[in-house]
Formats: sequence, C-alpha cells, structure tokens
Amino acid sequence: MIAMQVADIIAEYVVFLTLTDEDELNLDTAVKMTESLADHLEEMDKGFLRELVDAFPVIAEEYSGEAKEVVRNIAYSFYLEEALAADDPVRLAELAALRDARD
Amino acid sequence: MNGTSRGSKSSAFSWWLRTGRLPLAVNPDGLELKFNPWHDPADGRFTFVGAGRHYGASQADAAGGASSRTSDRTVAATALADRGKSRTGTRSHRKTSRAGPPASGAHRSARPVAPPMQPERGEGGLSGDHRNPVTEFVGGVGEGLYEVGKGTVAGLHAALTTNLATTVRGAGRGIAGVIDAAIAAEDTPARIQVSRAASAVASASARDIGRATGTIAGNIALAAAPGATLSKAAALRRLRMARPRPTYEPPQIDRVRETTRSKRSWKPYNDAAPGARAGQAPTLMRTMADGSKRPVKFDGIQGDYVIDRKWKVVDGPRARAQILRQSQVLAEHRLIGLWEVPTSVQKAKALKLLKKMSITNIHVKVVKP
Repeated sequence: MIAMQVADIIAEYVVFLTLTDEDELNLDTAVKMTESLADHLEEMDKGFLRELVDAFPVIAEEYSGEAKEVVRNIAYSFYLEEALAADDPVRLAELAALRDARD
Repeated sequence: MNGTSRGSKSSAFSWWLRTGRLPLAVNPDGLELKFNPWHDPADGRFTFVGAGRHYGASQADAAGGASSRTSDRTVAATALADRGKSRTGTRSHRKTSRAGPPASGAHRSARPVAPPMQPERGEGGLSGDHRNPVTEFVGGVGEGLYEVGKGTVAGLHAALTTNLATTVRGAGRGIAGVIDAAIAAEDTPARIQVSRAASAVASASARDIGRATGTIAGNIALAAAPGATLSKAAALRRLRMARPRPTYEPPQIDRVRETTRSKRSWKPYNDAAPGARAGQAPTLMRTMADGSKRPVKFDGIQGDYVIDRKWKVVDGPRARAQILRQSQVLAEHRLIGLWEVPTSVQKAKALKLLKKMSITNIHVKVVKP
C-alpha cells in the first residue's frame, strides 16, 4: 500500500519534470532533477523498488495522454529494471537486448 | 684546318713515330714553350715553382711549402719525361684538356682543379702511384652520388633555414620548389655528365670515371623514381594550396545564476566540473528556428570542450531533447561536448544513448567523484 502512495508521488513529480512548459521550468534544470530522482530510486531497497516498478503501470492508468505514457515508462527511463538486476548478468543482457529492440 | 697546321701535325706525328718523342713546342717566333703548372689560386696568374698551387700532373697542393719543392720538381721532371716517352697519354690529353697547357701529365684529370676530397698522392708522383683502379672507381661513384644528394639536401636546408620565421606552409613551399626543380632539371646534369665522361674517359683516372658514373646514376635515380618523388611533390603542392583554417570568434559563453540545492552526491559532483563556478552555470545560446535565442546550460568548460556532468543517465523524453539541444548548440559554436560520468556503467548507458540518437559531437568520459 505504501509503495502505491510513494509511486504516486514519484509519478506526479516525473510528469511535472517531463511535461512542464519551458517558460515555467528550465529544461536543463528539469533534466538535472530527473537525474537526481534516478539516483534516489536506484538507492532504494531492492524489494521496495520492485514494488514501485510494479506500481507505475497501475498508476499510469489514472493519467491520460502524454502523461500516461510518461508514467508507464518511468521504469524504462530510469533504468530501474537494470538496477534490480545489477547482480544478474544474464538478466542484464536480456534487458539490454529488449532496450535495443525497443528502439 | 689549314694546310700549314695539318702539315705541322703530320710532321710532328712522323717525328713521334720515328723517335718516340714529341717535338719541342715552339711559338711562331721560334721560342720554346714550356708548361708551368704553378698558378696563384686567387687570380690564376703563373707563379714560380713552389709558390701558389700546382695544377699539373701530380696534383699535389704544395702551396709555398719549401719541403715539397724538391719532390714537385722531381714529379714535374718525371712527368715531362713521361710525356716525351708516352704515346697514349699525350694524345688523349690534347684531346680532352682545353684549358690546360700542352705539356701536362699523362694521367691528368679532366677537372681543372684537384678536388679537395681526393686523397693525397704519394711522394713518388705518378710513377709511384699504383692504386687499385676498381677501388678508385667505386670511390668515385660514391663521390658522384654524394654530390647529387648534397645538392638536394643543401637546397632543402636553405629552404628551411633562410628565414627563421618560416612557417610550416612556407617550408612546404620550399621543399616543393626544390623537388620540382630537381625533377625539371633531371635531364640536364645527366647529359652534361655523360658528355664529360665521354670526353674525359681517355685520360681520366678510375676515380674520375667513377665520379662521373655516380653523378649520372644519382640523377637517373631521381628521374627513375617518379612514384616516390612525384607523390611527395604532389603532397607538398597540396600543402601549398591548402588554405589556412579560418579563425572564428571565441564562443560566447555566458554564465547564468543557478540556485539548485541538494544534499545528494550529484550536487558536489556537478559543481566540481572544470571551469565551474559556484552558483553560476556556463551557458551557450542556441538559435531557434524563429531567430530567437535560448540558453543551454552546462556544468563546466575546458578549452573547446563544454562539460556536462551526469551523476545518472536517464532515457526520458526531456533527456533526449536535452541531448539534441546540446548537440545543436555545440555545432553552432563549433565546440565539443563532454559528458563526465562517475562510473563505467553510466558511461555505457550514455554511449548507447548517444549512438542511438546519432550524436557525434558529444563525448563521454568517466571521472571519479
């Protein structure tokens, strides 16, 4: 339950950093804070991070349009699956192949 | 030829056939003509024996040496005696030597001045000089090749050292000029040397023949290596035609106030970028499609590299848009971007992302925090 609440906060923050207009938010500052958020997420407990990663697609359904896509892709954008599989080279290779295939 | 000279020549020839000696050389007044090999090197005038320089058969450089007078006299006498007895040497000498007087030695060189590189002859003069002709020939070949090479090297050296302020481009022009001149004149020295060798071969020593051969071989080698020589000349011509790189105005790098605060590790890492100032971010102005200007912030600058430090690499829409902005503004200002990341894992992510977006003017480097 707590993971859903934390994931909701994170999703709101990511949508703000990603979709706020340039006149309101400096684009480079937004990227800088996105990188800072990535540092926070990677340092989280692996079990809790797993719950967060699983919660983002659920929370994305509450958004619409571009924001929905942004929230759904949080795990991909922040390399969260790679952070969870840091000690598993096979999984890392699989994720790298999936990332290459996606683009 | 008139009849008188032909008659005197045939008479001298018949005299030589009958007696084995040449007739005395006399002038129209009946005075006997003798050969004086001693000349002043400064003005070329005749000098007394032992003074000046000996240009005769022995080729000994006895400039004023009292001790050498006796030997030189002996040499001169021996040469004169040989001249009278020799049948081949006298004839060949008259044919080849234009400036020399008629009574020179039988083995006199075709060159009017004895080369300083030639070794000194023995005290016994010609009669005691029994050098190996093969060795002399090989040595002469080496001297000829050396002189050809020396000419080219001297030209290059002059081109490179005449002006201390010579630029690299200027040096290229000079070298190209020397090589071009050598290629253009490749036939002339060979032809001259061939004619000289042909005229001097009858009386020249083995060393002289070798010298002529070496000179010819050296010039032919220049002409026979068109690939290497012409490629060098072509490359240097390209240097001559190369235009200097245009100089651009230094990039306009502004500083904008940055008040982002954080207790996380990324903050001191970003602030420690080269050229960074506390609270001020280096900024390049990007020109938009409508002509307006928008700033692009970085973390530092070092020479032509504009640095952006990234504690973590992300692959979101804004991150990709930032890459495009940075690449565009760097291209506008003719600069190179440098992402500095703390680990090799982040570097691998950055490289893959940049490659995916076909960005080539942003490099990635690991800089430990």
